[in-house]
Amino acid sequence: MTVLTTHTAPVPPGLAIAPQLPELLLPVKIRRGIVGFLRNHPTVAIGGALLLCLVLVGIFAPYLGTVDPTAIAPARRTRAPSAEFWFGTDLLGRDIYSRVLYGARVSLTVGLSVALLASLAGLAIGLVSGFLRRADTILMRFMDGLMSIPPILLAIALMALTRGSVGNVILAITIAEIPRVSRLVRGVVLSLREQPYVDAAVASGTRAPMIILRHILPNTLAPMLVQATYVCASAMIVESILSFIGAGTPPTIPSWGNIMAEGRALWQIKPYIVFFPAAFLSATVLAVNLVGDGLRDAFDPRMAKSL
Amino acid sequence: MVSYILRRVLATLPVMAIVALFVFSLLYIAPGDPAAVIAGDQASPADVERIRQSLGLDRPFLVQFGSWLWLILHGDLGTSIFTNLPVTSLIAQRIEPTLSLMTITLVLTIFIAVPLGVVAAWKAGSWVDRAIMAFAVSAFSLPVFVVGYILAYVFALELEWFPVQGYTPLAEGFWPWLENLILPAVALGCVYIALIARITRASMLEVLQQDYIRTARAKGLGQRNILFIHALKNAAVPIITVIGIGVALLIGGAVVTESVFAIPGLGRLTVDAILRRDYPVIQGIVLLFSFLYVLVNLVVDLTYTLVDPRIRY
Repeated sequence: MTVLTTHTAPVPPGLAIAPQLPELLLPVKIRRGIVGFLRNHPTVAIGGALLLCLVLVGIFAPYLGTVDPTAIAPARRTRAPSAEFWFGTDLLGRDIYSRVLYGARVSLTVGLSVALLASLAGLAIGLVSGFLRRADTILMRFMDGLMSIPPILLAIALMALTRGSVGNVILAITIAEIPRVSRLVRGVVLSLREQPYVDAAVASGTRAPMIILRHILPNTLAPMLVQATYVCASAMIVESILSFIGAGTPPTIPSWGNIMAEGRALWQIKPYIVFFPAAFLSATVLAVNLVGDGLRDAFDPRMAKSL
Repeated sequence: MVSYILRRVLATLPVMAIVALFVFSLLYIAPGDPAAVIAGDQASPADVERIRQSLGLDRPFLVQFGSWLWLILHGDLGTSIFTNLPVTSLIAQRIEPTLSLMTITLVLTIFIAVPLGVVAAWKAGSWVDRAIMAFAVSAFSLPVFVVGYILAYVFALELEWFPVQGYTPLAEGFWPWLENLILPAVALGCVYIALIARITRASMLEVLQQDYIRTARAKGLGQRNILFIHALKNAAVPIITVIGIGVALLIGGAVVTESVFAIPGLGRLTVDAILRRDYPVIQGIVLLFSFLYVLVNLVVDLTYTLVDPRIRY
């Protein structure tokens, strides 16, 4: 019998450490709500905060110590940054600080509008071509054709047709961005169609519009949102490029691209004219990209590790 | 293989046809009546009508598209409204700087971005990896002209290592040519380097987890050998794909970079054409660049079989 006592069933190693488990495994805190989400994804929080600041700057531009951004004063042309003119003055004596702050409005309006419009149009086209085989062939051939024109050139070509205005810039960039969004949505729709729950919905006699609304649409939202942030960032860059080369917003409207275009002739001696709008533009695009990267990591943790 | 190449080439035809249709519609709906412009101010409505008929502008849309396409296939892109010169010769005059800039950028990008991506994947999670990825995110956020101005300010104005602006043809010597193009190429390549470094890292991370990499390690192969021969070869297909897609960035960016560095290339021609509303020139450039883009991606498709012999068609 002593044999048995010495050979009492050995405790499995897993169980042996059971009492220590609370110390070994760090407590996983499940965070809920918007605040919890932001704490789990700091890039979204940082980018979002920066973006929020810039949006507020755009909205409250008139109250942030600015003067009329179009007021010409030839007597004080090309002044260097000083206590009176924080960012200096341009060739026509206009206050660059005021112009840059008001310029935030143009960039953000264009970026957000293009993101919204291109997403809606891309969603519609993607859903139709993901569901209707016949429409798919025609639509996707057409999208392939549009996609093989580099987006900036496409936007330039479209702007050449119309007058420069913020609305036309938004329209031109939206058209250039639609093919990519609709390709993405179509891809998601095609993979969702193979899901068992869609089969089940079809088998139980659910009509196509209802399937799209209840089963397909909600699942496209996450990748769409990520794509929308990238469209927004790209739209702001394209807008500034269009304005910079003289095919964007009219020179009467202070946009970051316009301010840089006006400073271009003098940049070797007065680099600050170009510097301030460039810094604001880069910060805004960076903020949007951070939000996009963070959302992508949050929605697709598998991708997060590799990209 | 031959039938695969043939099929790929044929598949680009409908895409090019749609590009052509789109570009033609652009000219078709462009404001301004070419007949009225050619007839001049003193022309009577009857004269304008006569010119319109002689130009064939009164014919249906598809008939006009057909004859326009016929001319293009014969290498005639029309005449510039502003300079009255054939668009093809305008493009021919300006193509060398642009192609030079794009080639140097492409070479520079591949030689910088791929090693960066490989190192980032190798040291995944370390500070090297983080630094490279942080660079990639910021490079994505810096518009090409911003990078251009920063580089020109630091390396040309302050340090005086490179000329500030301008272009020297290749015929006048290799070094003067290269010297003028290094800063623009770095500026233009920045976004492209970020893109390719990211995709290289992602693709390499996946490959490095494969069994054959463990086998290579087990049999004692050197780290460099494993990374650049065994892993990179297997990670190459997505990288090459993105290099092809990224050429669109290069084309769009070239237009801007040329303005910043005063390079007399196709980008400058585009900007001038927009300011003068010279539609035939804009049309010709869009067609040319789109054709180039489709061609690059066709070549990319064809290189898959060379890079990865497992791909058979």
